[in-house]
Amino acid sequence: MNKLDSAATGEHNVNFRQIGKARTRTDSPGKVFGKTPYAGDYVMPDMLHARVLRAKVPSARMTRLDVSKARALPGVAAVLTFKDLKIGTVATDIPGQTGFKRRATDQQILVDELVRYQGEPIAIVAAETVEIAQHALSLIEVDLEPVPGVYNVFDAQKPDAPKVFGTDNLVASYKVRKGDVEVGFAAADVIVENTFTTQYIEHAFLEPEVGLGWEDEQGVINIRSSTQAVETFRYIADAMGLPHSKVRIRGALVGGGFGGKCDVTVELYIALLTKATGRPVRLGYSREDSFYGHGKRHPFIINHKTGFTRDGKITASKIDITSESGPYAFMSPYVLMYATEAGPGPYLVDHVHIDSRSIATNNMYTSAFRGFGATQACIAYEQQMDEAAKVLGIDRIELRRRNLLKTGDAIATGFKVQSAVWTEECMDRAMAALGEKPKDKGAIRYGHGLAAYQQGYGRMIWLHDTAEGWVGVEMDGTVLVRSGMTDIGAGQTSSLAQIAGELLGIDMMDITVYNSDSSTTPLAGTSSASRGLYMSGNAVRLAAEAVRDRLAARAAKHFGSTADDVDFANAQVFLKSDPRQTMPFKELVAVCASEGIHRAELAIFRAPFGDWIDPETGQGQVHPDYTYGAHAVQVAVDTETGEVTILKSIGAHDIGQAVNMAAVEGQIEGGVAQGHGYALSEELIYKDGYLVTPSLSEYLCPTSMDSPRIECIVLESRSGLGPFGAKGIGEPGHTPAAPAVANAVADAIGTRVFDFPLTPEKIANAVRKARKAG
Amino acid sequence: MFMNTNTRLVSPEFDYLQPKTLAEAFTMLADHGGSAKLLAGGTDLLVQMKMERQQPSHVISLSRVKELAGITEGDVLTIGATTSIRDVSRSGPVIAGYTALQEACNAYSTVSVMLMGTIGGNICNASPAADTAPALLVHDASAVLRSGKATRTVPLRDFFTGPGKTVIQPGEILTAVELPKPAKGTGSAFLKISRVVADISQVCVAVVLVRDGDTITDCRIALGSVGPTPMRMKQAVGALIGKRGTPEAFAAAADIVAKDITPITDVRATEKYRRHVSRIIARDALLTAWQRAAEGAAK
Ligand SMILES: Cc1cc2nc3c(=O)[nH]c(=O)nc-3n(C[C@H](O)[C@H](O)[C@H](O)COP(=O)(O)OP(=O)(O)OC[C@H]3O[C@@H](n4cnc5c(N)ncnc54)[C@H](O)[C@@H]3O)c2cc1C
Repeated sequence: MNKLDSAATGEHNVNFRQIGKARTRTDSPGKVFGKTPYAGDYVMPDMLHARVLRAKVPSARMTRLDVSKARALPGVAAVLTFKDLKIGTVATDIPGQTGFKRRATDQQILVDELVRYQGEPIAIVAAETVEIAQHALSLIEVDLEPVPGVYNVFDAQKPDAPKVFGTDNLVASYKVRKGDVEVGFAAADVIVENTFTTQYIEHAFLEPEVGLGWEDEQGVINIRSSTQAVETFRYIADAMGLPHSKVRIRGALVGGGFGGKCDVTVELYIALLTKATGRPVRLGYSREDSFYGHGKRHPFIINHKTGFTRDGKITASKIDITSESGPYAFMSPYVLMYATEAGPGPYLVDHVHIDSRSIATNNMYTSAFRGFGATQACIAYEQQMDEAAKVLGIDRIELRRRNLLKTGDAIATGFKVQSAVWTEECMDRAMAALGEKPKDKGAIRYGHGLAAYQQGYGRMIWLHDTAEGWVGVEMDGTVLVRSGMTDIGAGQTSSLAQIAGELLGIDMMDITVYNSDSSTTPLAGTSSASRGLYMSGNAVRLAAEAVRDRLAARAAKHFGSTADDVDFANAQVFLKSDPRQTMPFKELVAVCASEGIHRAELAIFRAPFGDWIDPETGQGQVHPDYTYGAHAVQVAVDTETGEVTILKSIGAHDIGQAVNMAAVEGQIEGGVAQGHGYALSEELIYKDGYLVTPSLSEYLCPTSMDSPRIECIVLESRSGLGPFGAKGIGEPGHTPAAPAVANAVADAIGTRVFDFPLTPEKIANAVRKARKAG
Repeated sequence: MFMNTNTRLVSPEFDYLQPKTLAEAFTMLADHGGSAKLLAGGTDLLVQMKMERQQPSHVISLSRVKELAGITEGDVLTIGATTSIRDVSRSGPVIAGYTALQEACNAYSTVSVMLMGTIGGNICNASPAADTAPALLVHDASAVLRSGKATRTVPLRDFFTGPGKTVIQPGEILTAVELPKPAKGTGSAFLKISRVVADISQVCVAVVLVRDGDTITDCRIALGSVGPTPMRMKQAVGALIGKRGTPEAFAAAADIVAKDITPITDVRATEKYRRHVSRIIARDALLTAWQRAAEGAAK
């Protein structure tokens, strides 16, 4: 961990007591000692166990469904099919949004006629034991008559293609028109054009989807589940025809989400079975259920045509983007929006022309995944920059330097970035940390690669994002925080404790945070879009500030001073002007309590609100703000076998302000490891809609044995919209990691593999092809 | 197939037996016949049971049969069938004399699998990808098979009959593998290509070379994951014995290896890539073994 020294960065003179330090998280001890209960650990008396019957084929018409034998099996409490559903469909949009009407792209809950992907749920069963439930599935008789499907985006766009979605398989499309690309290309000395593709990948969280539901004495369906989004309770209520107030979702500490637990997963099946049986129901996915049961990361095909002057200034950028949606919309339109907005990357380009579309197929459906489309965009624009540098004969870092956006510059959508843009500093720091490239040894070639990026944080502004937070002080001086924010392992609750603790002068470890309960904690939205700290942190900050102001006013009276002279630290209240004048926090609170001074506050934080970008030109504001940074990698490539070893991996990011430096580094390291897998080994392979990599023995995540030590360089411009100037870092650490690897591999072997992932076989073939070509 | 996932719990629809002696184990095998399965570390068997490729009525654990575990040195090196991969990799005699086997054990995907998995389970499971199989083949190992009545010793080269198939007869238990002492001037090596470290091989190769000065006096080459069984490479060996050990000779032999193998395309690799890397790692393994042979100590 490094920080720019204050002289270099104009660092503000802020003396935080807890913020910015690398602190053990409040959730760490429980996890380390194995005490943390996860959603799957909860059981109830009289509980039933559920299983899901999934379609074995990707595209079919269901001609018969007979569950009578399954229902008759002793120990089976309920078997539900589409016929038992009141509504039949469930929303697939971003939960909790307020600014924009929900898209009319709801998905069938259980197959009623057409199967559109392999694994689509047909029936759900609740039984006394998992084994009986499993046995019941095998007694369900289903006839699926294959119907022609479409398994790639090219075929899906042909006029005679089978229709998976709407009338033309088009799930969404956007345009960006900034300046005039023809003018830009006319001014270019060199035009570089390349196409880059990315693959389907799996979130592969450690904890597969799991939950337990029960109906309480008020008739509320309660669900405790592993989720990033307790606010899906509304969609579950809607899908069951219940008032929103009659469904409650509680999270637990989550064993990883990465976007894969933003949609409704097990919750709706649990709710339906709980309602049908009147008994508690537990549903836990196996790893393979998880592979078949939630949306994946979108494969993309991205074509870049970029004009440059001879000295490397970009004159025009024409980008064509196609993403594969699978049969349902889920987050595809928004993911495409992110990819479109991020199209040209963190570069100032006057003439931009982007066309993008998301296409339906009968492969697995896709949804949110860390970076939300901006990741795939980065894979394309950063490889394109390296290819261009090669053509232009300009150093790769220098070419970037000549084109990087600066604070106040307009991105592709015309929006002028207001926060600090420190991409260049990040780039230089990452490259410097990489050091010298080792000398090649026989078939082993070394390569250096870098990728810079831009990643929006916070929700798209037309979603009118808000978050609430509550802070209160108990009579004995202990502090409570309530926030609906889910904690998916990034330390969300811990950071809220740290924020409240900083403002009230109480150590974070002494603060209790209740979170992730859709009924009793103030709603704060999903932990997604790198918005968790930004939104819920600001809400808790506002609440803590309000409480602090009231306590300070009372303390001022006690000290005979003014409220702004009062400070809080180490569970003491004191005067800044005379720190010898102190009073235990506890005593001040007791005084306030006896006088009826309100010791709690419910605050709301509102992100910037706005309208959709112009549909014809794509001009306008998409995100509240952006995080910038760069990632550098050193690899060794065996040019004979194509094997890649990542030797060094360095993420440098301006995160505005760290709240917990240890948590920031955790986000970067985790995101980077995930990016390495994305670049080199991870791939969900669908053959005509059939998944051929349905478990972790075929789908390959890197382990610690494949990973180098990951170095984090954290810069703090304090210019973000989050609490104390923080920016989002949940996604950004991941965004540039994969293209940096790709650029390092290309540097090592002198040629490029354009299709992700860069498997040894593709690399070995590319080397041979390049040698043949001389 | 689709629902029978490798991470679900297996329902206990079988009886679990724990003999304390080999004699007891033979009786149990005789009593339950074809529907019983032996369990050593279970790292193959349990996966197969979850996938419902095996549905035994009785599972007979060998973990308490003491006579099956451990390594003893005599005229031959005897490795008990239930010796864990980890124990094999850390055994003094293995480190001293059987480098290819030690490297094969160390190439196992993860420490947890090395601790649970056994050498006997690895070869009895008869996967073409079993890491110890090519190494044991080049070390000229034999399998000791016992039944209630008799003991026979089968050279490992005659042991594998197909994917998942061996010469083991009903009622027989593999009690040990025996490795003859390496000849003077022996060097050996094992190399594995896998997609990530924690994975079984796309291709693996083991080599033993015996040298007298610059001349190759004996040689054995075996590969895994390139055919229905672990494969010995007789043609390539024929091209080397009696020749001088030069990089050119090894490269030429490796070319023969790449031609002789019969790999398939599957999720892990294509046939083409398997041939391509077989040539490279066979060459590298030969070069390494040749150097080790020169380093004097019989390795
Ligand atoms: C995550 C994972 C990673 C793996 N990685 C590797 C790897 O890198 N390399 C590799 O080679 N393998 C690997 N394997 C496969 C497996 O671990 C090995 O084959 C291991 O050596 C098997 O030994 P075991 O004792 O667990 O066998 P078990 O599963 O107990 O038995 C395997 C088979 O052999 C039979 N058997 C066992 N002992 C005897 C005996 N004494 N006599 C007769 N029959 C017997 C059993 O009935 C069964 O059919 C991996 C497996 C897993 C689950």
